[in-house]
Amino acid sequence: MKETNCKLIKYASIFEDLKAEEIMTKNVSYLFADKEIVQAKELMKVKKISGIPIVDKEKKIVGIISIEDIIKALENGYINEKIGKIMTRDVRCLYLDDNLPIIVEKFERLRFGRFPVINRQGKLCGIITIIDILHKILEKFNLIYIHDKNRNIRLNDEISLITGEKLTQDKAEFHYEIVSGEISKAGEGAAILKGFLIKKGIDKDIARRVGVATYEAETNVIIHSESKGDIFCFLVNDRIIVRVIDNGIGIENLDKAMKEGFSTAPDYIREMGFGAGMGIPNMKRFADKLVILSQRGMGTQVEMVFYMNKNKNEKTK
Amino acid sequence: MNVKDVIKILNGKLVLGEKRLNEEVNSIGATDMMSDILALSEPGMLILTGNTSPQSVRSAIVTDLLGLVFVRGKNIPPETIKMAKDSDLIIIKTDMFMYSACGRLYTEGLRGIDERD
Repeated sequence: MKETNCKLIKYASIFEDLKAEEIMTKNVSYLFADKEIVQAKELMKVKKISGIPIVDKEKKIVGIISIEDIIKALENGYINEKIGKIMTRDVRCLYLDDNLPIIVEKFERLRFGRFPVINRQGKLCGIITIIDILHKILEKFNLIYIHDKNRNIRLNDEISLITGEKLTQDKAEFHYEIVSGEISKAGEGAAILKGFLIKKGIDKDIARRVGVATYEAETNVIIHSESKGDIFCFLVNDRIIVRVIDNGIGIENLDKAMKEGFSTAPDYIREMGFGAGMGIPNMKRFADKLVILSQRGMGTQVEMVFYMNKNKNEKTK
Repeated sequence: MNVKDVIKILNGKLVLGEKRLNEEVNSIGATDMMSDILALSEPGMLILTGNTSPQSVRSAIVTDLLGLVFVRGKNIPPETIKMAKDSDLIIIKTDMFMYSACGRLYTEGLRGIDERD
C-alpha cells in the first residue's frame, strides 16, 4: 500500500504546477449549519452529489455533511435535526494553491470522496472530487504538457519531444527561416515545404496535412512570437517530423490557446483572415502527434509527427 | 457544373486558369478565414472569398484547391495574382457580394460539402 502511495504521488508530480484552483468545481453547493438535515438530503438528491460543505455567514467553512451522515440520520430518525448537530466539524480542506501531488497525497491518505477548497482566510472557494482530478488530467493529456524545470532544458535542444530521438538541425532535410512579423509571408514556408515533400514523392494527402499544420504553426510565429523562427523537417523512416521553433515571448496560456475560437490576435491580423483561434486546434487536427512546449519569455517549440503509411482523412472531416 | 458555368452564374470574369475552364466543380465553399480553408476545405474545392490577400492563394496552394472566387469586385493585389500564376489555380472575380454569389450557386444546385450525402 505504501509503495502505491509513493508511486501515485510521484506520477502526480508531473503536474506539480497544477493547482487546486484549476482543478476544482467552482460552482459549489453549500448550506448553513442551522438548516435541517433533510434539506441537505434534498440538495444531494437534486444536485446528485454526495457531500456538502457547511459554512457560516462569511462563507467560512465550519463543517461538512456526507451521504453517510444522511443515512445514519434516516436510520435513527433524526433527519429533521439541525445540520450543525451532526456535521463533521474537523473538516479536511485543500488550499487554492495546493498542487496536484499534495492533493493526491490527501486523497490517498484520508480516503475521502471530496475535499472543499478554501483560501487562506478559510473561505469556501470550490470543491474537488476524484472526477475533477481525472477530468483535468485528461484535459492536460490532450496535448503532452511538460511542466517544471525540464521545460527550460528541453526548449531549443535537439532531442525530439515526442520520440526522444536526436534531430540535429543541420541534418534537417528542409529548413525555412520565418521572418519576424512579416504577415504577408505567412504560409510561405509551409507552401514550400509541401512542394518539397511532393517532389520527394510523399503521398499528396500527407503532404497536404503537413502543409496545413505547418501553415498554422508558421502563422503563429509571425503573429504572436515577436521573434523570427525556423521550420525544420526531418524524414525519419515512416515518419515526417516538423519542428517550428521560435525564441519569442512564448504562449502565456496553452490551455486557452488549445481551445477553438480563442485568439489574442490584433484586429489588423484578423482582417487578413487570421486570428480565428483555430491555429493550434488545426495543428492537432492534421498532425498525428503534436507537442507544444512553451514558456513565457522562453520561446515556443512545436513538434508534429505525421505517419506516412497512415491515412488520417477520417479525422480531417 | 463546370468552371465556365460558375463564371456565367456569377456574372464573373476569369482572371487566371483559362486551360481549366471545362473542369467540373464538385466541391465548393465560402469563407474569409484562412483557418477555415486550412481546416475545412478538401482537395479540388472552389472557394468564394472576400479575402484577396496573397494568403488566400497560399492557403489554396497548400490545400490543393481548384481555385478561388473573389467576391464584391475587390481589387486583387498584384502579389496575389503573381502567386496564383506560379501555381495552377483558377482565379475568378465577381462583383456580387458573398451572400448573393453563394445564393446564386446554391440555387443552381451546387451544395456545400456539409450537405453532401
